[in-house]
Amino acid sequence: MKNGQKGRLPLKRRRLKQQKAKQADKTAKLEPSVDSKAPLSDSLRANENTFRSIYDNSSDVIFRPFYIGEQVKALLIYIEGLSNIEEIDDSVLSPLIKSKADGDTTVDTLINKKVAVSDVKKVTTFSDSVKEIASGSPVIIVDQQTSGFALGLSKWENRSVEEPQAEMVVRGPREGFVETIGVNTSLIRRRIRSPKLKMKAMEAGEYTKTAIKIAYIDGVADQSVIKEAASRINRIDVDGILDSGVLEEYIEDHPQSPFPQVLSTERPDIVSANLLEGRVAILVDGSPFVLIVPATFYSLLQSSEDYYGRFLIGTSIRWLRYFFLLISLFLPSLYVALLTYHQEMVPTTLLFSIAASRAQVPFPALIEALMMEITFEALREAGLRLPKQVGSAVSIVGALVIGEAAVSAGIVSAPMVIVVALTGVASFTIPRYSASAAVRMLRFPMIFLAGTLGLLGIMLGIIGIIVHMATIRSFGEPYLSPMAPMKWRGMKDVLIRAPWWKLNTRPRFTGETNDYRQADNQKPSPIRGKD
Amino acid sequence: MIENGRISVLQMAILVYPTIIATAILLLPAITGDQAKQDMWLSPIWASAAGFLAVFLAIRLNNRFPDMTIIQYSEVIVGKFLGKAIGLLFILFLAHNCGVTLREYGEFVKGNFLEDTPLAVIIGSMIFICALAVRGGIEVMARSAQVFVPVVTVLFIVVLLLLIPDITPGNVQPVFKDGIMPSLKGATVAAGWFLEFFVIAFMLPFLRNRKKSAKWSIITVVAVIITMVVTNLVTLFIFGALTPTFTYPVMEAARYISIAEFIQHMESVVMAIWVGGIFIKISVLLYITVLSTAQWVRLSDYRPIVFPYAFIIGVLGHWSAENVQELEKFLKETFPIYALLFLALLPTMLLVTAAARGLRSQNTDNRTSSDASAGKDRSK
Amino acid sequence: MRRLMVMKKWLITPVAILLMLLLAGCWDRTEINDLAIIVGLGLHETEDEEVQLSVQIVNPSSMASGQSGNSGQQGTGQLTTMEKEVGKTTFDARSKLQEKVSRELFSGHNRVVFISEKLAEKGIRDHIDFLARYTRPRLRSYVYVTKGVPADFFKVMPDLESSSAETARELADLRIGMSVEVKELLQMTADASENAALPIITIEGEPPHSYGLRVQGAAVFKHGKMVGQLDDSATRGVMWIRDEIEEATIMVQPEGETGYISFLVLDATTKLVPEIKGDNWTMTVQINAIDDAVENHTTLDLMKPDTIKRLEKQLEEKVEQRIHIALEQVQKDMKADILGFGESFDSKYPDKWEAVKDNWDEKFSEVTVNIESDVEIKRPGRSTSPPALPEDEVTNE
Repeated sequence: MKNGQKGRLPLKRRRLKQQKAKQADKTAKLEPSVDSKAPLSDSLRANENTFRSIYDNSSDVIFRPFYIGEQVKALLIYIEGLSNIEEIDDSVLSPLIKSKADGDTTVDTLINKKVAVSDVKKVTTFSDSVKEIASGSPVIIVDQQTSGFALGLSKWENRSVEEPQAEMVVRGPREGFVETIGVNTSLIRRRIRSPKLKMKAMEAGEYTKTAIKIAYIDGVADQSVIKEAASRINRIDVDGILDSGVLEEYIEDHPQSPFPQVLSTERPDIVSANLLEGRVAILVDGSPFVLIVPATFYSLLQSSEDYYGRFLIGTSIRWLRYFFLLISLFLPSLYVALLTYHQEMVPTTLLFSIAASRAQVPFPALIEALMMEITFEALREAGLRLPKQVGSAVSIVGALVIGEAAVSAGIVSAPMVIVVALTGVASFTIPRYSASAAVRMLRFPMIFLAGTLGLLGIMLGIIGIIVHMATIRSFGEPYLSPMAPMKWRGMKDVLIRAPWWKLNTRPRFTGETNDYRQADNQKPSPIRGKD
Repeated sequence: MIENGRISVLQMAILVYPTIIATAILLLPAITGDQAKQDMWLSPIWASAAGFLAVFLAIRLNNRFPDMTIIQYSEVIVGKFLGKAIGLLFILFLAHNCGVTLREYGEFVKGNFLEDTPLAVIIGSMIFICALAVRGGIEVMARSAQVFVPVVTVLFIVVLLLLIPDITPGNVQPVFKDGIMPSLKGATVAAGWFLEFFVIAFMLPFLRNRKKSAKWSIITVVAVIITMVVTNLVTLFIFGALTPTFTYPVMEAARYISIAEFIQHMESVVMAIWVGGIFIKISVLLYITVLSTAQWVRLSDYRPIVFPYAFIIGVLGHWSAENVQELEKFLKETFPIYALLFLALLPTMLLVTAAARGLRSQNTDNRTSSDASAGKDRSK
Repeated sequence: MRRLMVMKKWLITPVAILLMLLLAGCWDRTEINDLAIIVGLGLHETEDEEVQLSVQIVNPSSMASGQSGNSGQQGTGQLTTMEKEVGKTTFDARSKLQEKVSRELFSGHNRVVFISEKLAEKGIRDHIDFLARYTRPRLRSYVYVTKGVPADFFKVMPDLESSSAETARELADLRIGMSVEVKELLQMTADASENAALPIITIEGEPPHSYGLRVQGAAVFKHGKMVGQLDDSATRGVMWIRDEIEEATIMVQPEGETGYISFLVLDATTKLVPEIKGDNWTMTVQINAIDDAVENHTTLDLMKPDTIKRLEKQLEEKVEQRIHIALEQVQKDMKADILGFGESFDSKYPDKWEAVKDNWDEKFSEVTVNIESDVEIKRPGRSTSPPALPEDEVTNE
């Protein structure tokens, strides 16, 4: 990050350099040399020509010339499919065309008196106009005027709000974010109505011009995190940001780490909860996944349902998840280590039955484990990518046919199949897909370590992982916080899921200015003295 | 300053505790039991005096020179030339100590788990990981320790609890059979471990808030005493007179656990405890060595020399002893005196000289902070 | 260019580590298929004074098929095999044994150690050193003295358990007879009094048709050598003194009755209280036991407190009688302190103990033993009066 700024060639200059080089061999086509920063001129014809050359070969851009009051020439420009045509016809074109012939045709008058649209914006330059057109707002330019106006009548096909597929809950809201940023902000705004909820607008992507919004609650979120997020997004100088996943890679602290340092979610309730805890959300247009920073390791292991159910159950489920996280990371390697290095630690009768089932297996335990784990990963991946109907067929073929046949053919041992299956199930208990992917990836080096140094290898692997996790930070927040550095205030939401009426303070980091999130003593109690 | 990280007093305690205890829980019962017999559980209590002395020296010196380590203030106290000489000796001592600890770890693993694996691999893999942690700085080490120490402590308690069905408390009698002497003799060895508390002298300058450093250091000493006494008692309860005959009594005790035919052979857990603890210990020792060296030659950053140093210490560990017997002899006979010389006499000498010459830190900023903290100490 | 370098560094480090680990090989790795899992170790001395080591090795494939019952590998049949070899020392024999067993001998799951009577009489100290030093065998293996050659014991195919070693272990677990683990044996021999007792095990039936093992009495060791053996009832007496009774049945024939009443000892604790007055060493054995009636062949009504009082008295006598049998043999005949008297004198009177320590065997035989037993009958079992008797035949006193 630090050395990133210095000595970095901005994208435009870099591209220019390349263009010059290509110009030299005369083969490359030049980019149209239109100065889009220029202001609109007062000649409609000149303006039209400029726009037409900007939208050269763009058949989806519609130019609709018309006369205001049969007298003044005007031009409507919009992109097919991005704008609400009925509205344009009813509220803009018909009043303008039908207006009196001798009326005042300055842009301001038109906006104020003629156009029956609530969201109208004056544009004066080509670049502004192009931006508006691209975002679906039709632009009208009028002859003899050095400005035009954009109508906020964008409307395009978008997915309706549905239940997020990757983050299912039994209890809790079923809304999920969609690809349109406006819908997403509204979903958050509907939950947090205070004007303290701020949405800072940004943009990234040379070509995509992707809208990005940084959401936070003023006075709760840490200003330094907001500043850091904004500066990291500002720094991005690329062709395009197509998904929040791309943005994530540009703004995270340690891109080499397998662990996600940004929490991504499809659920507006999770975003709202995190905003209330003082974190910062980053919304990216075109992506239903909203990023939340700073993320700690424990926040990746929490499910929103922990907070909606009873706290005792939430606590036990949380522990179950921690336990299965360990299983998912260590079970195959533990199996390999015990079987090839520490046979005396396996209970005697168990050892006999494992030995019996392995009697025919031609592979060493290490190879067997790797083989089966890779097969399992392949099955999972195949099941994920294939169409739903085929996907279930693949999993049946994979699980039943391959597993059963391999065991009865004596190629793999039955205990290994059990281990792999258990590991697979365990990896699905981790609520965040990005976190479970990290765990699944780390499993393989762990198997190798177990195969070379036994339990010592596993221990060294654990130390290595912990040291790595202790090294990384997410937007200034140590990744392992609140366990290391130890913050008791945060522990009550990590070790257990403390009841809501006990969660008086915000979990950690921020909140030096705003520690408390609820009044004291809100524990409900039964009415006494009645029979 | 050379280290940008800052740690809290709690983190310092959590770093120091495994630094003392990691090797002690495995080796101490046999070594003290050899001398003290059934009074071996008393030895750590006598030996703790050394721990309090080391803490006292480190904190007093730090009060005078709040932002300096011993390498730096020895130059201020006894002059540049002599100071450098003391610094060099200290660095050599630290490096050797680190190497010996590494070797202890290597011998343990090789002797109990991986008989055929070359020592170089066992030592090399550990020092590599430690070097990674040291490169991360004191903050990373502190955070790693905060993850390991609670887990390791819980595991240790679990092992002790699982041993309860097998204990024979009668083994502890007769107390003071041959008077107090055997337990005192046993204490001399334990004192070597307690003197290692002087490592806090290298952490005090990096504390975020130095106010409670004395209190937490004493809490750590007490925690170490309790752990050692409990360990010695449990091994005594289980093996009785047999304790000194095992090289690693706790290990044997864990190996002996068998509950319901399923929970058995807990030596893997003991290994996990030991490896987790020794990782912290070696990291701390390596860190101190590297930091001292960097300060001695006045480098602006210690990170570049971490890996080369780790390699040297790995080799040092590999060569530090011919075999386990020699290593044990060193630990039993040489180390207490060795530690006394470097971790008690040398600092005492420095403190006395500094007090006699009325020396304090040169930097005015530091002086005010040191005065403030000293004043607070006095007002308590 | 610089970025490329950074990339390369990041790639090279893990790859190098991985290659290092893989190429350097897996030194200690042993596949489970290559192990010969030993469940029993036997030590014996041959005619020409060499150590004969016999082992019982599990055949896992047949063991599993024996359990599950399906799978077509039942042909191998035998669940365990026995191998034996002689050598100068135990480990020497083991090395020679390895020469003819195709899989690596693995004693991490060893369950019992059988020591032949012959070897025991010669002295076991040299041999048990192997058990403590060599890292693999477990300290929790049970130790037995065998009547006969251990190798024969390993050939026994028991009906219920999968191997004779397993049978011996289960017998020890039941604690009917004495049960001693390797660790306890090491402790006993390291103790000041240096005496030990080990259970004796015998084969039921003649070797070709033998079907099981039986724990029968105990062997008494003095200074590492077997000096004698105790029969079953004396062994029980020793166990009472050593506070090792966990389950016992005591049968009494009440006065004036023809039948017996059997009692099950539920909880028995024994305390040794040493006392030295002048030159007079006394040991008080305090026994506290709680019994339940389990079988009543008499006409007595066990719900009557008076009857119970009388029975308790009789039970106490019975227990004391057992202890006397044991004391007679151990203290007077063998003069071997396997009762823990020495230890208990040591912890109470360390100075006086120090004085007689070297001469303890003699002093031990002179210790006066008082027995104070207190037996309580808490419950009459599940029925109150003898259920098989008509009401009027129950004795009413």
